[in-house]
Amino acid sequence: MTSGVDKKQGVSRRGFLMGAAGTGLAAGMGFPAIRPSRAAAGRVVYATWGGSWEVAIKKAWFEPFTKATGIEVVAVQDNTYGKFQSMVESGSTEWDVVETNPDFQFIGAERGLLEPLDFSIIDKSKIMPGDNFVTDYSVPQVLWSRLMAYNTKALNNKVPEDYKALFDLDGFPGKRAFYTNPNSGAFEAALLADGVPPDQLYPLDIDRALEKWSEIRDQISFYETNAQAQQYISDGQAALSVMPDGRALAAVKDGSPVAIQYNQSIMTWSSMVVPKGAKNRDNAMKFLAYVLSPEAQAAIANEYTYGPVVPDAFKLISPERANILSGGPQQQGKFIMANEKWWAENLEEASERLTEWRLM
Amino acid sequence: MRLLIRRNAPALLLAPAFILLAAFFIVPVLRLVGLSFEGSSGAFEHYARIAERPVYLQVLQRTFLTSAATAILCAILGYPVAYRLATASARTRLILLALILIPFWTNLLVLCYGWLIVLNPQGALNTLLTSLGLASVPIPMSGNIVGVLVGMVQTMLPYMVLPVAANMARIDERVLQAARSLGAPPLQVFLRAYLPMTLPGVMAGALLVFIMSIGFFVIPAILGGTRDIFIAQLIEMNINRVMNWGFAASLSTIVLVATLVLYVIGVRWFRLGTVWGQS
Repeated sequence: MTSGVDKKQGVSRRGFLMGAAGTGLAAGMGFPAIRPSRAAAGRVVYATWGGSWEVAIKKAWFEPFTKATGIEVVAVQDNTYGKFQSMVESGSTEWDVVETNPDFQFIGAERGLLEPLDFSIIDKSKIMPGDNFVTDYSVPQVLWSRLMAYNTKALNNKVPEDYKALFDLDGFPGKRAFYTNPNSGAFEAALLADGVPPDQLYPLDIDRALEKWSEIRDQISFYETNAQAQQYISDGQAALSVMPDGRALAAVKDGSPVAIQYNQSIMTWSSMVVPKGAKNRDNAMKFLAYVLSPEAQAAIANEYTYGPVVPDAFKLISPERANILSGGPQQQGKFIMANEKWWAENLEEASERLTEWRLM
Repeated sequence: MRLLIRRNAPALLLAPAFILLAAFFIVPVLRLVGLSFEGSSGAFEHYARIAERPVYLQVLQRTFLTSAATAILCAILGYPVAYRLATASARTRLILLALILIPFWTNLLVLCYGWLIVLNPQGALNTLLTSLGLASVPIPMSGNIVGVLVGMVQTMLPYMVLPVAANMARIDERVLQAARSLGAPPLQVFLRAYLPMTLPGVMAGALLVFIMSIGFFVIPAILGGTRDIFIAQLIEMNINRVMNWGFAASLSTIVLVATLVLYVIGVRWFRLGTVWGQS
């Protein structure tokens, strides 16, 4: 894959030659380091998770946005929190828009790493209602869910109706695949299986969740990446898993014997933030406004299996497509919204406790 | 002026290397150590936490033990390979080197997923074993310590074979001839002449493997089980997810100090320096 950074340098060099020739055509592309004001007229540097997702957002968001505004969107990968913090703290912010997990909208704001968003440009009235969905520093990007997926062959076509199946080794024998990070829906699943009512889930009782996990300790396989979860569930190494819906859907699409249980799926979202000191701040605001339009939200939902955060977008999505998306009709009345604020405040403690539990 | 330059020539020649090393290694390491003493509630906040919660020492212990096991297995498996490599004809040596270096140059993630396909319960090895009747049920070889050791030993083996083979190639054949001519049977020649002369190479290789293994991240994460957590995983989590850099720095400092201590022990008691050409 060509990295966005390489491309940026290529453009700069060409921009220099063309500028020297006096064509002036390259003005919009400019060189960021030498003439920041020129660069500011025409680009947004977007830090992404990359992969097939990057291919999808290029098609669904970047290209139409550039066509409509003339502002070029450059994708760069490796949007880790560590890199984010060191960039902002050293005063050399290279990114303008960053996609993150929603816990970072709180962590980043608390540490003063984020630029307040301009809601005179970004219309937040169309975004679906919900706590913590929009903050002063972040807007939601797309919806996704953590849910129970299972290998139909491994379970002999027996259907696990709810999370109790995860802890029922006699009824549903086989390995369970959980994520190595605690905020993966599996703590919630344990508490729901243990009888905690959905509206009293948060603050999560970590001890109780891990105690529940202990019932099936020898049958838990941990996955480090979502690709690994997909592999486990596809080839039946794990009979059941709590995993992201996108990966479970990909396994289904592959033709693997995988099915999805939408009951009590833990819905969450991804966020977009602007780093403090972003060089193309104003363009970033325009880009965020565009991404939150019903058209752009429908475009990505048709390209990738994530749900729109703007309900109006469903008017532009076919019913068949809507049926597999987070927030779509199949999930109505069944999902539970994750409390990402609680996770932001308790991630460190929960991670430590999970490590302790693993070594027990 | 010219005299001044000539007198200080060695220092001047070393200066660029030293400046680079200082700027990109010594200063960052010092900053890292400094960061580990920056806590919101006192300089020793992070170290106190490590001391209070046994989990961190447990992970350290597990990291060190698994790395030591890797070093020992590499020594046992690598020794005969190194011997073959050191004594082979030029042509055979080329083929052997290629066989050693191709996996060495292969991406670690690719290796891990490759092993996963071979070792998992429905994998190639288990299918072979069960279809031949050598096992009645699949043997769990991934998702546990076996998987971690297989992955780590394979990745680290070249670091053992190459220094040991280099050491073996330098052995004076006349010493062995002398032993034989004095009537020593082959086993005696090996145990009393060959092995002692190759041992520094083995120790150097083992120490190299051990130190590099401590930093492993991907292999225990992918091939390991519930308990196979390496310290690098906790450091990464504290940097990239929880964003507690001070704590990550204190964990890193402990690993750094432990590694340095081991290195000093190796140099002093096992005469490791001889392998890199020190007299």
